[in-house]
Amino acid sequence: MISEEIEKLEKEVWKDFQKIENLYHLEDFRIKYLGKKGKINWYLKQLKDFSLEEKKKLGSILNQIKEELETKLKLKEREILLKEEDKDIGLDLTLPGRIFPLGTLHPITKIIEELCEIFLKLGFEIITGPEIETEYYNFTALNIPDWHPARDMQATFYLKNGALLRTHTSPMQIRAMLERTPPLRIIAPGKVYRCDADIRHSPMFHQLEGLMVDKDVNFSDLKGILIYFAKETFGEIKVRFRPSYFPFTEPSLEMDIECVMCKGRGCKVCGNAGWLEILGAGMVHPEVFKSVNYDINMWQGFAFGLGIERIAMIKYGIDDIRIFFENHLIFLESFK
Amino acid sequence: MKVPLSWLSEFIELEIGPEEIAEILTMGGVEVEAIEDPYQSLGELISVKILEILEPQELKDLVLCKVTDGKETFTVLTTAKEQVKLDLIIGLAKPGSMTFTFEKVEIKNIKDYKSYGMFLSPYEAGLGEEKDKLLILPQDSPVGESIYKILGISEKVLDLSITPNRGDLLSILGVARELNTLTSWKFKAPYFEDFLKEGEKFPGKIEILDKEGCFRYAGRFFRKVKIKESPFFVQKKLWLCGLKSINNIVDITNYVLLEFGQPLHAFDWEKIEEKIIKVRKAYPKERLLMLDGIERELEENDLVIADAKKAMVLAGIMGGEISGVSEKTENIFLESAWFNPKRIRKSSQRHKIVTESSYRFERNIDPEGVIYGLLRATELILKIAEPEGYSEIIDIYPKTFFPPQISLSKQKLTKFLGFSIPSEEVEEILNKIGWVKKTGYGFQVVPFSYRQDIKIPEDVIEEIARIYGYEKIPITFPKSSLYSPEISAQLKFEKKVKNLLKSLGFFEVITYSFIDLASLEKLNLAEDDLRLNFLEIANPLSITQSIMRTTLVPGLIETARFNFFREVNSLKIFEIGKVFFPTQNILAKELIHLGILIMGYANKEVWYEDLRKFDLYDLKGYLTSIFENLKIDIDFVPYSSEPFLKRGISFDLYLEDRKIGFAGEIKNLILKEFDLKTNVLIAEINLEPLLEKQKEIKKAYEVRKPPKYPSTFRDVTCILKKEIKIGEILDFIKILSIPYLEKVSCIKIYEGPPIPEDEKSITIRFWFRAQDKTLKDEDVNKIQKEVAEKIFKRFLAKPR
Ligand SMILES: [Zn+2]
Repeated sequence: MISEEIEKLEKEVWKDFQKIENLYHLEDFRIKYLGKKGKINWYLKQLKDFSLEEKKKLGSILNQIKEELETKLKLKEREILLKEEDKDIGLDLTLPGRIFPLGTLHPITKIIEELCEIFLKLGFEIITGPEIETEYYNFTALNIPDWHPARDMQATFYLKNGALLRTHTSPMQIRAMLERTPPLRIIAPGKVYRCDADIRHSPMFHQLEGLMVDKDVNFSDLKGILIYFAKETFGEIKVRFRPSYFPFTEPSLEMDIECVMCKGRGCKVCGNAGWLEILGAGMVHPEVFKSVNYDINMWQGFAFGLGIERIAMIKYGIDDIRIFFENHLIFLESFK
Repeated sequence: MKVPLSWLSEFIELEIGPEEIAEILTMGGVEVEAIEDPYQSLGELISVKILEILEPQELKDLVLCKVTDGKETFTVLTTAKEQVKLDLIIGLAKPGSMTFTFEKVEIKNIKDYKSYGMFLSPYEAGLGEEKDKLLILPQDSPVGESIYKILGISEKVLDLSITPNRGDLLSILGVARELNTLTSWKFKAPYFEDFLKEGEKFPGKIEILDKEGCFRYAGRFFRKVKIKESPFFVQKKLWLCGLKSINNIVDITNYVLLEFGQPLHAFDWEKIEEKIIKVRKAYPKERLLMLDGIERELEENDLVIADAKKAMVLAGIMGGEISGVSEKTENIFLESAWFNPKRIRKSSQRHKIVTESSYRFERNIDPEGVIYGLLRATELILKIAEPEGYSEIIDIYPKTFFPPQISLSKQKLTKFLGFSIPSEEVEEILNKIGWVKKTGYGFQVVPFSYRQDIKIPEDVIEEIARIYGYEKIPITFPKSSLYSPEISAQLKFEKKVKNLLKSLGFFEVITYSFIDLASLEKLNLAEDDLRLNFLEIANPLSITQSIMRTTLVPGLIETARFNFFREVNSLKIFEIGKVFFPTQNILAKELIHLGILIMGYANKEVWYEDLRKFDLYDLKGYLTSIFENLKIDIDFVPYSSEPFLKRGISFDLYLEDRKIGFAGEIKNLILKEFDLKTNVLIAEINLEPLLEKQKEIKKAYEVRKPPKYPSTFRDVTCILKKEIKIGEILDFIKILSIPYLEKVSCIKIYEGPPIPEDEKSITIRFWFRAQDKTLKDEDVNKIQKEVAEKIFKRFLAKPR
């Protein structure tokens, strides 16, 4: 009976289909069953001798098989092709890739950028100014007349023409106040110079100056701003404030953070103090306001100054300041 | 400033230990740098046991002892023949240590014998008067142990760093007062008996001729003092503070200086001509031989103490050799004065002399301390120099010092600090720094005479805040008007350039702004080159950092060299920093430059490509990328005029008609002078004109849409003379105004067989696109054919 044969054929087809593993099998299979001279066509041809009813019935069964086969084969082919590409072609995957190395910014630049971002968030304006200064801006206007022993605090490089290399970024306070009318909030990062060279001192280093002048910014606010800065820079960290002295601020203070090396227990880095001094600050001295013609009854403000290298040394655990200006590649690469 | 706690406790009852005292002082604004034990600082002064005593003939008076410190046995020579006994435990200073008398102990060789140290007397150990005895330790003492540990002796000395405003803290008394201010521990004020205040008639005359230089001058005459060594307690106190003992009179002046902060000076009365003491300006070119053995030429602004004929002392700074106290001195004049701090400072700086005395005078002293100092010295002289008599105190004080009256309103105090402190508490604090009067609005304060630093209301506010405690001050945030300032164009620009270079694989460096003239000279610049017109540092730390840089080149080459000698064979660095030029004014012209340096290999040793050295096209490529990203057209004009660059491998860089920099390979001969044996390419660009240009450029991007119609390309390959530059051909193509041409570039250059030796083969690719249609092949072919012919004709090229 032909219908039984067709039934048998269907079983055979699906059994054979299961055996297809690669494109060759697939092609053989296709020829065997779906080719012009394939089995399905052969049966279809046989049908011409049957009754119309049977022709219709068996023909539709055969066509159904054919259709289903074609669909499944397409899927099978895709499956094989995808699998084909999963093959290990013998590439050595342990070899490194083709590198396009990026450079780095200098650690000092990075710290300056970080600090600037902190103060930008608070609405401080970043300004820059000359590195070669006059006695007036560097000292006199900041209430450090030439007979003042405070000048010993800053060993100064003088130029032969009488100018000097600024010993701190504080002259920017004067320049900023002369150019602007209060209220104002500025920070001024930049290079400064002092006649001093050892493992802790470089004749050239960087500072960041801050100044805020308004109707009633006060000493408590200064503490608030400085604590905010310390937390942003070093994370949750203990700070303390000590009275200090700078001729251009009154009252003056110094801020220490808990030593990051020993967590306050005392070590070589902090000289057993458990604290690291990181900045000086204070309320702007009235003499400074007078030198820029600000009405001291109207305005008050605070200023602060910090050493960038010092912050970098604490943050990165560097013990010799000179390494910043040697610029060895291995050192620079560490800041990727 | 060294403060022995034992001395300090003579003036204040110390209720707690050294660490806690240090903490209180530090938090009060008096920084404690260290807590020292001077005995421990002497080094290894230890107990040893005598094992054997030998008396070699050739050593005469010396005996040789074999001793042990428990670990080693070694020999020690001593003259104390009678005192050494077997098994005795005795104090020894080991080589490398120091004794109380500031003697450095070393290994001694006498004849064939060695002495590994020195037996100590109690005096040499800083323990007592006795000099001729050996320091014998209890027989049950451990050996090899510190003698001070065995004897239970220690001294704690605070090393204070005093800020320049607080001259009043440069004394034991001052620190005691400060501790009293900060803690209210019981203060023991010095007291002087009445008989110290009077005396015989002063046998000479004192005149202040320079009243601007000397505010107060006091003194006293002592008859027939015995100049001798100071008693041990004086010596020890000086030693604790790091001072050497000289003789009793000099020691007393130092003692009072340390204790009261009042510098004193003792004169040999016999050396004072006509017994007249004048405080006057120095005469122009007047000379004075000083205690340090140097004769100095003085000038009019120097203040001197003179007699009828000559200057005796550079006032407040250093005494003269002639008028000083010596062993032969019998009668002395003791000076106690208050000099103008500014004058002392200027003289001290002019002559480069800083002494304990000048240091205190320039930080200003207590005007009242002038007399107290003299009284304290009298007390000590009576005790240890046994004078036969002394005179009344002569006190010339032309203008009595009145401390300022400072008004401070409660309202100002609160506004300044940001919080309010109860009036009673403020008053209590103010009572510690001066006389206080409550007024309607606040307080009136008259600071004590030693607080010369308190002058204005802000100074008083600081004292209130400090004594109240900075830690207790609340933490608030400023209340301020909201405004958002713009970031300056210059900083934005610098940041952009830095980040571009970083993405191109460059490392940023920062080199010193001062350089070595020699390294600038190595660049072989022409005599009239502006870069040789530099600013010089008057007081450089070293000759290698003595001129302000006018170019970044030397710093970058030095950096390359530093790396090259430390195993770096491939380097890409840049620096953005200032160069400095003199102007008509005192201020310099400061320009921001960009320097770029590439050295050695362009790549690392890797598996996928061969090592290749950096060449000009690398540098040009980097620069092109930067300029493109900055949207600034810079012309690379071949053959730089920089004398340190290889002419054929360099460009000058132009922005419009202005030279803004250069780029190229450094001459080998120049590199050799920098001791650098590798290839180095460098570029330096003045960023200022670029920044100006950048400001003109609109922020908006020139946005292009994806093309609607396809492009097509055609190549022209031809053979032409080697010397014809690709740039010339591309320039020529530019002026042809070829229709539909979108882009053109040279994609291949070939030299070598079969092309003749003086020729090369090049391929130029043309991309065509129309905005409104798809171009037809025939049309493009026609255009290309015309272009090719024009090129062949113009450059005498043959098709290939
Ligand atoms: Zn630490």
